[in-house]
Amino acid sequence: MSTVQTPVGSGEETPVTSPWRRVLGLVGNQQFILLLVLVAVMIYFDFHNSRFFSVSEFQNLIVDLSAAALVAVAELFVIVSGGIDLSVGSTIAVSGVVGAQAIVHLQSHHFGELPSLLVGTVVCAGVGALVGTVNAVLITKANLVPFVATLVTLSAGAGLALFFSQGAQIGYDPVAATWSSTGFWIFTWQALIVLVIVGVLGLVLHFTSYGRYNYAIGSNPFAARAAGINVNRHVASVYVMSGMLAGLTGMFFYIRIGGGAPQTGIGTELEAIAAVVIGGASLVGGVGLISGTVLGVAILTVVTDGLVFINVSTYWNQVVVAAFIAVAAILQTVSPGTRKR
Amino acid sequence: MAPEKEPILELRNVSKSYGSVRALSDVSFKAYAGEVIGLVGDNGAGKSSLIKTISGVHSPDAGEIFVDGVQRHWRSPHDSMAAGIETLYQDSGLAPDLTIGSNIFLGREVKKRGPLGRLGFLDQRTMERRALVELDKVGITVPPSKRTVSQLSGGQRQAVAIGRAVMWAKHVIILDEPTNHLGARQSQEVLKVIRAAREQGICVLFISHTLPHVLEVTDRIIVLRLGRVVRDSLTTDYTVESLLGTITGLNS
Repeated sequence: MSTVQTPVGSGEETPVTSPWRRVLGLVGNQQFILLLVLVAVMIYFDFHNSRFFSVSEFQNLIVDLSAAALVAVAELFVIVSGGIDLSVGSTIAVSGVVGAQAIVHLQSHHFGELPSLLVGTVVCAGVGALVGTVNAVLITKANLVPFVATLVTLSAGAGLALFFSQGAQIGYDPVAATWSSTGFWIFTWQALIVLVIVGVLGLVLHFTSYGRYNYAIGSNPFAARAAGINVNRHVASVYVMSGMLAGLTGMFFYIRIGGGAPQTGIGTELEAIAAVVIGGASLVGGVGLISGTVLGVAILTVVTDGLVFINVSTYWNQVVVAAFIAVAAILQTVSPGTRKR
Repeated sequence: MAPEKEPILELRNVSKSYGSVRALSDVSFKAYAGEVIGLVGDNGAGKSSLIKTISGVHSPDAGEIFVDGVQRHWRSPHDSMAAGIETLYQDSGLAPDLTIGSNIFLGREVKKRGPLGRLGFLDQRTMERRALVELDKVGITVPPSKRTVSQLSGGQRQAVAIGRAVMWAKHVIILDEPTNHLGARQSQEVLKVIRAAREQGICVLFISHTLPHVLEVTDRIIVLRLGRVVRDSLTTDYTVESLLGTITGLNS
């Protein structure tokens, strides 16, 4: 009787299961479109150079992909919460350099390879968490907007990386570097570790109360606060986590290169943000899926690696990436599900 | 309203000042279960100060607050929520990107049973199902789908927000301008939910500038002017003209 009417587009009959409807629904599904784009791009590169589908090329691709995925997923958490973290690239650089110094120090005291790398990992994560803590304090205590706060640490981090390293690569660790190409089939150990981390973070984002609060805060911080969520504490934790993941990426690159260089990772924040946007997340917060971000990273990595592979000048790389971002962003504004603010 | 019963909410001589500005002076009233009370007044009359005092955002400088016969001292909005008072502010509302179920249970999530639940994993299915049942109790029917709140109409959104307050409030819900920015039909949906809350024995404090809505849905109207209660009478004792006159202080 006293029921509120539901004028929302005859929504009662949505679970109609005609196969045609399903196909149409799939076409409207953003994740599915991203997957199609990824497959199309890979087929295109394979068409131009059949070695693109070789195991060694895939191993390379997946290593590049996993480094980018670690940063992009960190960025996704921040962006869903309604913020942005511009400092991840600099954090990779400074944590990689400091971690490398720790490893060099340990190895000069005859520490084994594995123990010193483990300590290095902890140091990298710690330096990253420290940068994240500075971001968190600037945002939640000094009330800076995330863009400005992380711009501060972006600049400071890049400078400190140069200062600590005096502009040169720290350490020369060929043993570590060989590990970046060993593993299981096309998955190197590094890639497998990243896969586990991304998987766990995906579960956290989509299935736990922590992830739920992340969306709520990005969607409407006033409602989140009124619901009893400690918004400042949550936001702070997101930036600390983002910094920590950037720090781990610094370690990732240490192993990849066999040392810590001050220019490593610089500028990565833009790639990460691009992947998140291509993956369908909203820069105003509250919207975004981990699967979308991973697909966004995959598309960007395949395109950048593939262009090199088919001998297109690397100068074109950023232009092509720009085109992907533009198309993804435009599709978002015209897609019917997007809410108006 | 049954005056011989214990009031569910009672304020005795509550006063509150912000610096030299006296926002509330000796405000006293009693509110009973199953009663809808209109709280009206011109801008600056002390309505929002009063809401914030009852909901624990501010504590009063003087005076006493009783809920269910027990004197209360709020330290934070959490305390008033724990005592069974839910407040819906104008700017709080819902998180548009979350589903209806997620919004209803926001901050009070149902976890999965067992070790996964202890790790914070949510029982989304139970939340969506219970949300539909609870909303149905106050006459709100929403499609059983993974629809986000942003896909609902403004009126439905507000109805869901009030439904959420009704579901969690044991005693009192405070609604700050719930029909603001809504069309006539959508406002009626909201008023319907308020009546349903009354049927459930909840006391509703309805703050609004829209006097026709106040006269339509309330049992009693308390008029505030310059921080004081200037009239507290049954809604049937008011006309639009007398209510307006009492609010502005321009009638005899």
